[in-house]
Amino acid sequence: MAQLKAQWAFQADTIATGRGFESTPLVIDGVIYLTGANGNAWAIDARTGRQFWRFRYPNAPDLTAGATYPVNRGFAALGNQLFMVTLDAHVLSLDMRTGAVLWNEVLEDYKNGYAATPAPLVVKDKVIVGSSGGENPTRGFIQAFDAKTGKKLWRFYTIPGPGEKGSETWPSSEAAIRGGAAAWVTGSYDPELNLVYYGTGNPNPDYYGEERAGDNLYTCSIVALDADTGQLKWHYQFTPHDTHDWDSNHVYVLGDVPIGGQTRKAVMVANRNGFFYVLDRATGKLLLAKPFTDTKWAREIGPDGRPIVLNPDGVKDCLPDFWGGTNFMPPSYDPVSKLFFVTARETCVTYFAVKPEIKIGQVSVGGGVRRVADRIFDYGALRAIDPSTGERKWELRYTTPSLAGVMSTASGLVFAGDNEGNFTAVDARTGKPLWHYPTGTSIWGAAATTFMLDGKQYVLIPSGTTLVAFALG
Amino acid sequence: MLRRILFVLVVFTLGARVAPAQTDVANGRGLFQTRCADCHGIDAKGVHGPDLTVLFANGATDERVFQTIRRGVPGSEMPASNAPDAEIRAVIAYLHSVGVRVPDAGNSSNLANLSNGERLFNTSCTTCHRVNGRGGVLGPDLSRVGAARSRALLTQDIREASAVIAPGYQAVTLVKTDGGQVRGTRKNEDAYSIQIMDTTGQLQGYRKSGLKTVVSEKTSLMPDFAAARVTAR
Repeated sequence: MAQLKAQWAFQADTIATGRGFESTPLVIDGVIYLTGANGNAWAIDARTGRQFWRFRYPNAPDLTAGATYPVNRGFAALGNQLFMVTLDAHVLSLDMRTGAVLWNEVLEDYKNGYAATPAPLVVKDKVIVGSSGGENPTRGFIQAFDAKTGKKLWRFYTIPGPGEKGSETWPSSEAAIRGGAAAWVTGSYDPELNLVYYGTGNPNPDYYGEERAGDNLYTCSIVALDADTGQLKWHYQFTPHDTHDWDSNHVYVLGDVPIGGQTRKAVMVANRNGFFYVLDRATGKLLLAKPFTDTKWAREIGPDGRPIVLNPDGVKDCLPDFWGGTNFMPPSYDPVSKLFFVTARETCVTYFAVKPEIKIGQVSVGGGVRRVADRIFDYGALRAIDPSTGERKWELRYTTPSLAGVMSTASGLVFAGDNEGNFTAVDARTGKPLWHYPTGTSIWGAAATTFMLDGKQYVLIPSGTTLVAFALG
Repeated sequence: MLRRILFVLVVFTLGARVAPAQTDVANGRGLFQTRCADCHGIDAKGVHGPDLTVLFANGATDERVFQTIRRGVPGSEMPASNAPDAEIRAVIAYLHSVGVRVPDAGNSSNLANLSNGERLFNTSCTTCHRVNGRGGVLGPDLSRVGAARSRALLTQDIREASAVIAPGYQAVTLVKTDGGQVRGTRKNEDAYSIQIMDTTGQLQGYRKSGLKTVVSEKTSLMPDFAAARVTAR
């Protein structure tokens, strides 16, 4: 590990209100495809870090949700086409060789509070994209396009329409229609079951729940959709009637997990609410749920799959903050050591609600949090969880909560990052740090990428607005 | 997902008051409580940040307040905000609605004690604290603390020095693998290293691989000034 050395750095000249790269780069045939803040994207030589082309999207001056979080979380690729989304809620296809726009389709009208930030998901001949904008009164959805033409195919609304199953979990269609449930993190796909799995975000208003009594389906849930038709196969709601902004927008990890003497086709997630879940990914049946943080929110997840909430607002004993026990940064599962690795956050706040004014195109969060203890007591950790039992196996502590993603390798390494900027490799079995490199600023949202080129193994990490490449020797 | 946006103090020029719409006030109250109240208090009367109810009575203008929110206050805890203009204007409308009309004229007995306070400060505080360029560097610079903190909070900070310790001033003792010890204030720390100012005022970084332990002390390097030692007056 001592031979893992920096090879080059690529610096993007885009700084968007403190947000840098939040995307995990794609590497195809020696070329890195990477998106950044404010509608920028690049093709970069993987050998040297030199640019091939740069793409700049002309952002509208009157962005709504896109102005609040001017980030982008990456490309998808198919053949010679790249796909990305924009802050004004468009979906683009670019020519991989030139960065020229092949098609540009409206996902939704951004003036109504929508934006788009996730990397699209390519499934067969379709491009699938979820909506962003759950802090605004919007109705979340997942949309499929024809990859060649950009033609709109199916759309699944993450909030049921009037009379549809699940609509009974809202007090009125008026509350439901602006009830949030954005799908702002890329889904996962199981080709054998032909299902796509997407997480859904907070109900809106985030903290003020009085005018949306009920479970508020399908907010804070996972939905499994038929990839061809967008039809809902099953769902599971992690946080019914959430009032903490605990989106379930995560990278859902598919793996074969031994549980109760049986190997199950599972989908795993460490949720923002502080619990780690394993579900049967064919049926949605809950197989296991255990806290992976020290959360005081719920005692356990009951046999009916619902949390037994002890402490809804953190007044009795403080709760994880609105960033949650973890967030959108990718976790990882190692099928060799059979461990799940996640960046966990330990924080301590109370929540308060304020009735918001609902106005289309404007933020309506309806409250916020108050720090109970001094921030000095907050911390982060890379944790290893045994998905067969939910037990924590080891942790590597960070001095502050981190939002860095995780990558594990077949050789038994886990690459992770911290808020202090360290890019770290640890032993997957023990959690012992083997190597680290101080990148100089927080590693935030992105996970490492690894690839082989000219017989050399490379590792990439985006940090701030810099992409750093490492290789052995 | 909301980024925290805080507010600080402000600035004194003449300005006309514009009557805000009631919807702006309600919207601004919500925004303020979400983003500003951590420092400026749920009622805008100030906690770690200044009391904002006296802002306009003291002569601040909407435009100056707007720019302060937009740009932040460099060198303070008040960050710049990227909120849409309309949201900042709504917060300003809310601040008008809770603003007092009469400026805080101060208390004449406070003024009478000014020279006594200066004498006490010079004998007890300047080894570590700096005011207007004079004094030590081990503790925080207090040049602006009078404007930034309420009187009640300042009194409490002096009486119970360890109740709230500002970030960057927490006392630590580093025990080296050779047994040697260094004491100082923690400027920064990550999983692999720690950066301190030692008690002689020297900046020094240490790799944790060369340390046996890092002892985070519960009490501040600053002593408590109990009522018996320094009276409230």
